[in-house]
Amino acid sequence: MSELNVKVGLIGKFDMLKFKNMSKVREKAIQAAPAREVSGVFPVNENAKALHPDFLELVIEKIIARNGAKTFVLKSADGKPLPYFRAGQYISLKLPLDGSLVTRSYSLCSSPREALSGSYEITVRANPGGFVAGRLLSEKNVGDKIIASGPQGFFYYEDLRDKKQVIGLAGGSGITPFLSMARAICDGIEDFELTLLYGSRTEEDILFRGELDEIARVCPKFRVVHVLSDEEKGGFEHGFVTAELIQKYAPEEYSVFLCGPEAMYKFLKPEIEKLGLPERLFRRKLIDVTKTPWESEDYPQEARGREFTITVRQGPQEWTVPASADEPVLVAIERAGIKAPSRCRAGECGWCRSRLLSGEVFIPRENEMRRWADIHYGYIHPCCSFPLGDLTLEIPGEFF
Amino acid sequence: MPKYDVVVVGAGNAGLSAALQCQLGGRKTLLIEKHNVPGGAATSFVRGRFEIEPSLHELCDFGPADNPGDVRNILDGYGVKLDWFECKDCFRIVSRYSDGSPMDVTMPSGIENFINRMEEYVPGSREKMTTLFDLFQEVLDGIAYITASKGHADSKVLQADYPNMLRTGAYSTKKVFDALKLPRKCQDILSTYWSYLGVDMEHLAFIHYAAMVHKYISRSAYIPAHTSHQLSTAMVERFRELGGDVWFNCRAEEFLFDGDKLCGVRTNLGVIECDYALANINPDIIYGKMMPKELIPEREKKLSAARGRIMGGRMFTAYFCLDASPEELGIQDYSIFLSGTADSAVEYQNILKGTKSNEYSIFLCYNIANPAFSPKGTCVCSFTTFGAPDEWGELKQEDYFKFKTDFAKKFLKNLKDKTGIDLMGHIEEMEIASPWTFARFLGVPEGSVYGYETRDWDGMMARMMMLGTDYPIKGLRPIGAAGPRGDGYSATIICGQLMAANALKDLKEWEGGNP
Repeated sequence: MSELNVKVGLIGKFDMLKFKNMSKVREKAIQAAPAREVSGVFPVNENAKALHPDFLELVIEKIIARNGAKTFVLKSADGKPLPYFRAGQYISLKLPLDGSLVTRSYSLCSSPREALSGSYEITVRANPGGFVAGRLLSEKNVGDKIIASGPQGFFYYEDLRDKKQVIGLAGGSGITPFLSMARAICDGIEDFELTLLYGSRTEEDILFRGELDEIARVCPKFRVVHVLSDEEKGGFEHGFVTAELIQKYAPEEYSVFLCGPEAMYKFLKPEIEKLGLPERLFRRKLIDVTKTPWESEDYPQEARGREFTITVRQGPQEWTVPASADEPVLVAIERAGIKAPSRCRAGECGWCRSRLLSGEVFIPRENEMRRWADIHYGYIHPCCSFPLGDLTLEIPGEFF
Repeated sequence: MPKYDVVVVGAGNAGLSAALQCQLGGRKTLLIEKHNVPGGAATSFVRGRFEIEPSLHELCDFGPADNPGDVRNILDGYGVKLDWFECKDCFRIVSRYSDGSPMDVTMPSGIENFINRMEEYVPGSREKMTTLFDLFQEVLDGIAYITASKGHADSKVLQADYPNMLRTGAYSTKKVFDALKLPRKCQDILSTYWSYLGVDMEHLAFIHYAAMVHKYISRSAYIPAHTSHQLSTAMVERFRELGGDVWFNCRAEEFLFDGDKLCGVRTNLGVIECDYALANINPDIIYGKMMPKELIPEREKKLSAARGRIMGGRMFTAYFCLDASPEELGIQDYSIFLSGTADSAVEYQNILKGTKSNEYSIFLCYNIANPAFSPKGTCVCSFTTFGAPDEWGELKQEDYFKFKTDFAKKFLKNLKDKTGIDLMGHIEEMEIASPWTFARFLGVPEGSVYGYETRDWDGMMARMMMLGTDYPIKGLRPIGAAGPRGDGYSATIICGQLMAANALKDLKEWEGGNP
């Protein structure tokens, strides 16, 4: 027996009794309370749900035709405010097309302020070989309903991280997140200076010319430089965006944000390297998964063009679907009309994270954003995994 | 739709543990999780070239292989294997003693080291500190005896072998410290741990405090090599190996009853028939939103009302991924407690008052414990504090992003002012999780990760003593941080096992007699 003899109260026996009585004390406290209904409603949780809903039901309120593109003004189906967002974020549309359910993500190009009155804007431009954009442009009308994810993505300004002066590099329809940023700056929602180097083929191809010039006119924190690749004109830069051109417009300290087509990323990679910026000062929007996986250095060429079978499980259900080595696993699942979760289609958001129970896939290096344990234990993002044989896959459920 | 013996709702620490226990107990078990990743708080997220640990600071009660704690034993028993790193020093505190004088102390692991270091900071404290650790040991042994006796503890044995535990067990930590005449400066240093339980020293049961702190100091603390997502995923995969089914993005909407007995769970993937559900969900949410009102016992309503609406630990954490190594940034400690005062009761009130008066944060640099936590030449750090429920409840969406960034700025400045460590100019990726974030991902009331406060009459021991009286609904038991063991990874893993064992017992009983 230890010599330890600790007493808190005057008489040790009473303290022991106190210990024994702990449950009686607790029961007394419980019985003294009213037997009121438990509400289960908490303001913080309601806020979280409003900012991050399972999905959104949107209605097309207006369609604005532009040069080769359309802006869709979307309202919440119930007329209520839509989730607020950071300028630069995107929503992911869920579209039923010929029996498949496909997702496509579009940057919001409106100011976050508009969300408070229940409105978002996205802009869709037809792209060669783009199956979904073409259908959206030709088939969607005012009054049509669209299911979408809430705003998401990490392409936005963060004042603890980014320099106060940002050089934005935009190509083609990659202008949309920057337009939202410019509008947010103009509305006083964001507080940074944005110099936009915006590459288009010709003057006629410039999207949002009027809007951009007008914001630049009224807002001293925003300016836009149009860079035309196929035309040489006064008042415009000519050629491609290069390190030299960036330096021409850059202040002493700056961050670079980049959003444009895949070709622009490839061209700009060595140019950005010339600037000698630390990684933290360069941010780029996600790039969609490649359409030509066989061009990747480490792709096993013998798989190209082959046809496989994927066994897909979701909760209690199971399907067997055909798949091609040339398309991401997700495409095969969508084509079968399965309600499969996906959002970013670039490997980043992880919403499609699935357990690969058997078989092998190819994942392009630029889309490899999985957690360590997911790689280790065989979880994949079907949106950017290409089948290399027959697969068995367990996918998560969906909520819409 | 297949029928299951047990459906575990929520793959948080408690849910994972419960699912493994049920499957090992020979029951056909389905684990459903409303997110597409397991773990609840025990997860990770990727930003750029970094993978970030969202919640785990230190797993206590794990211990080295030659001195295993309960959690190591439980995971070994489940057959869950992964690599761990030890967090060698216990903590550094940069604060003020309650007399207002500045405090900057670093406490090591190991009881002897701890007492020796305390003697350096508070000369003459050795004898009292030794007594305190002897008392901790008796409390631990006493709890182990009570747990092993499964509700049939012999009061004669208790009185003979654990008299000091019995005499101190009903008191707050502060009361026992005072009774021991522990120097105030020792008390101040020792009070650091309060925030891991979310209840200040005047309201935190000594028995709970003693059990936790002794484990931390004697067995050191551990983190998984690849974030707590590795722990959760290892548990999921082991569960699958044992024949269990796991459905992600599967959310329980409602518990279904046949008379007064649970018979199924309605989810977004359909209705699942089962005999038992272990719900890793706060009981207020279950009773408020997920089952018929008429089946909720009067006493459970009273219990909810008695607990009131202040939940424990409404988390706020800012994560920073830096493009410099800890050495370059001058970071030497794994965890630094930065607080306005070591007086936990004052600090607690300041937190409840809101972001303006809240000076409390725990600064952590994961790379100190695990140098390979992030790419070479980088490191990942975080600040953790608590939110005030009203403030985060009343906040508007359009003010949210700026509000949380401003709060994070305060802690960056605090760190710089108090330690000279400046992270600005090195932030490559960052994320700020507020009580909204925790509410979103965990579904917990007010973003409270700690469940109901283990405060005063509702302490851990009192809850354990009443296990047979709480949770009276047939076939439905809540598990998790709101449960008998309170918050934390260790507590919830233990809770999951304990409640699953009770469920297995119920199922067996029903089969034996008339259900």
